[in-house]
Amino acid sequence: MGQIVFAAGVPHAPAVVGLFSTAPDDVKDIVAKSFDAVRRRLLASRPDVLIVFANDHLTNSRISAYPDFIIAAAPEHAGPHEWFKAWIDCRDYVVKGNPDVGKALFRGMTRRNVRMNLRTDAVNFDDNISVPTVMMELDTAPFGIVPVLQNCTVPPFPDGPRCFDVGRAVADFIRDDLPADMRVALLGSGGLSHEPGGAKYYSVDEAFDRRWLDLCLAEDQETLLREMTVPRMEAAGAGGTSELLSWFIVMGAIGERPGESFGYTGWKNFRCGFGAVIWEVG
Amino acid sequence: MAWETYNPALASHDLVQDLKWDRQLRAAFAQNEAAILDRYDLLPEERQAIEARDFRKLYDLGMHPYLGGQLARFIWGNDAGKGAVEAANRLVASLNGTPL
Repeated sequence: MGQIVFAAGVPHAPAVVGLFSTAPDDVKDIVAKSFDAVRRRLLASRPDVLIVFANDHLTNSRISAYPDFIIAAAPEHAGPHEWFKAWIDCRDYVVKGNPDVGKALFRGMTRRNVRMNLRTDAVNFDDNISVPTVMMELDTAPFGIVPVLQNCTVPPFPDGPRCFDVGRAVADFIRDDLPADMRVALLGSGGLSHEPGGAKYYSVDEAFDRRWLDLCLAEDQETLLREMTVPRMEAAGAGGTSELLSWFIVMGAIGERPGESFGYTGWKNFRCGFGAVIWEVG
Repeated sequence: MAWETYNPALASHDLVQDLKWDRQLRAAFAQNEAAILDRYDLLPEERQAIEARDFRKLYDLGMHPYLGGQLARFIWGNDAGKGAVEAANRLVASLNGTPL
């Protein structure tokens, strides 16, 4: 019987890396404090594996055949994909994978009526995995990572209630399918409000973001699901904000838990609201 | 973005994906854009919009905005804080009907 030992949500806006050095000190403080806290507590939880849910951003598949989930189950994961290096201004990295857990997740989700695709070869990573990896130096961590790249932007995509169901299935999988005493960390990577490629490219919906963070800490998932619908997320930033659905999966897996946030910034040059949450689990 | 106009069948989507995944195609696109566009089954008005850098028209035809943003980077630049800023500025200006 495996157990969830860590759960968090973080943004992965590329400018958090590329423009970090140009940000005002108060913005830098919030970003650094958030990633530092997540990294520190993640390591302290001594996981055997970290499963990261993150928007695929049309990085691996054509629109004409677009999967809702891709489990990346290679022995190691290298990134960022070459075209995204300049975009993110990000160093190269190689993180350990965990093929056994990746394949088990594929079997487990299939048995629980959640269709996921499995890839055992190299997949492309953009800011989705690259930003949390370099900001938290996950390539130096002692555990392997299983990225699950999610369709958060190609309609129709799994909405909030469906992502909660997926999260519950993930929890069930961890509890019933993984080896006894396996310690699993969960991370949702994405958000907050942003509209990549849209007319509101430079806009951040601070009111939405602050409400989102409040709801993540409220231990009231019914209200979160009622308020944070896909149309509401689209209104806060079309084609981008909905990648918060990766956080929905984590919240669905852990249930209503107290959490902690480490400040918020809507600095416009990030072109994305920034705030992170760690939930108490175990 | 009005998803009511979204058209997943647009050939522009494949163009952007191929440019993203193929470094040599990117170089060829930069050297001779028309020759690369010839390879794709673009609607006449879709091709005209790409050539005119008219992203409002492309989106009205149904282009996915995430890939629209990436097309802008293939045209104007991709590096953080430099070409990417110009690409974003020009994209937003086009969408707002005030091209730079």
